[in-house]
Amino acid sequence: MNDFRDPSGSGASPIARLVDAFHRLPGIGPKSAQRLAYHVLRAPEEEARDLADALMEVKRSVVLCARCQNVTAETPCRICSDTGRERTIICVVEEPLDVVAIERTGGFHGLYHVLHGVISPADGVGPEDLKIAELLARIRDVDRDIAEVIVATNPNLEGEATSMYLGRLLRPLGIRVTRLARGLPAGADLEYADDVTLGRALEFRQEV
Amino acid sequence: MPGRAPRVTKTEAIVIRQRRLGDADRIVTLITPLRGKVDVVAKGVLRSKSRLAGHLEPLTHVEVVLAHGRSLDVVTQAQAVESFPALRGDLDRLSAALYLTELADRFTVEHADATGLFTLLHAALVRLDRGDGQQVVTRTYELALLDATGFRPEWTRCLGCGVEVPAGEARWSPLEGGVICVECVARYPGALPIDATALRVLRAYQSLPYEEAGRIRLTDDLAARLEQIMHSLMRAVAERELKSAAFVSAARHARVAEETATAGLDEIGNGAYAEDAD
Repeated sequence: MNDFRDPSGSGASPIARLVDAFHRLPGIGPKSAQRLAYHVLRAPEEEARDLADALMEVKRSVVLCARCQNVTAETPCRICSDTGRERTIICVVEEPLDVVAIERTGGFHGLYHVLHGVISPADGVGPEDLKIAELLARIRDVDRDIAEVIVATNPNLEGEATSMYLGRLLRPLGIRVTRLARGLPAGADLEYADDVTLGRALEFRQEV
Repeated sequence: MPGRAPRVTKTEAIVIRQRRLGDADRIVTLITPLRGKVDVVAKGVLRSKSRLAGHLEPLTHVEVVLAHGRSLDVVTQAQAVESFPALRGDLDRLSAALYLTELADRFTVEHADATGLFTLLHAALVRLDRGDGQQVVTRTYELALLDATGFRPEWTRCLGCGVEVPAGEARWSPLEGGVICVECVARYPGALPIDATALRVLRAYQSLPYEEAGRIRLTDDLAARLEQIMHSLMRAVAERELKSAAFVSAARHARVAEETATAGLDEIGNGAYAEDAD
């Protein structure tokens, strides 16, 4: 950000520092970073303090739930400590946002486990980099009544590799391992569907 | 318009990798015959109604139309030619395929002819998909890849003096990429012992046509030794850890553990993960 360098030469100016900080956020290009920085500069002090407090608060108080590894303010998290939920079934997801997506459906009342990623050797991520050991330990020591694990990783190559790997680890424990159904998305066009998706849709067809 | 470069290119390609770009787009890495490795932008593929997404999954042989962009080309059409479904449905073969593509990624340069490497990768994926032995496919691919890129390992003659080394007496150096005789071993401080049977198999894999190489019967133990030798060679040549190589081994360990457990010997509970309990 050359445009904002402090003319006195004593290092980066506060504005340049802020632009730089915004620029490091995902999806924020140099122009957006400048726009955001100038917005903060012109905004009332209170708004800036709110933003700063929110940023610090999230770093200070959000931890990973000791059981499900989801992000939470207290551990065990709200879902893990909810006595109304089925405690025999765990839905394994890649990221915390996937928990939000599945909760929104209102169709699942069991527990969750967040892997924080997916096996992807091309990106340097192996099984040991995920919360798989925590899942096995949890099933063995805490949630001993688990009868089924639904692997809800994304239906792409990495998600499939992860689900097959989890299947190999979990089946010996006497647990039923299932996978989310795959097929055509709502509003799709058959003509443009790829062979794998269309094949799965045929294979797992349902009575009308 | 004479003289102007075409604005779109149509090419076949194998998808080897994807990474996110913004909210809904992805950068897809392709291996193409004529342009080598290219990064292209696939717009909107993270949306559920995307018409491209399913065709651009890694390990797909695809025909794409690319529009030339300012920095990266953009995929405007994609049609899967082969998606290797059998390979995707089996963890051992899938992990092997991921390893092959990681090697292809490391050994292919961007924007240069890679017809040979493309053909090698394509043949190996076809062979894995139709159920050929994972070992013979992987090992012959590694050796052919090294050959094509100028890193052909020397399994027969000593790197130091050129004399033919009997398999039983050989040592080898992953860094130097070949065998060393007993006379010269002092000059190669990093030289390691090498299993005589494994060395004979590697010599055969390097010299025999693929179909004949496939007839060599391997025990599980010998296959594991071959894998270990070739993984250390590939690591030395690539000058980095190969994450997919570790995953090939992890997938196999998990299979063995499952088979053992199904046979009534429950070992998983006391296995490697016990120490991670909270």
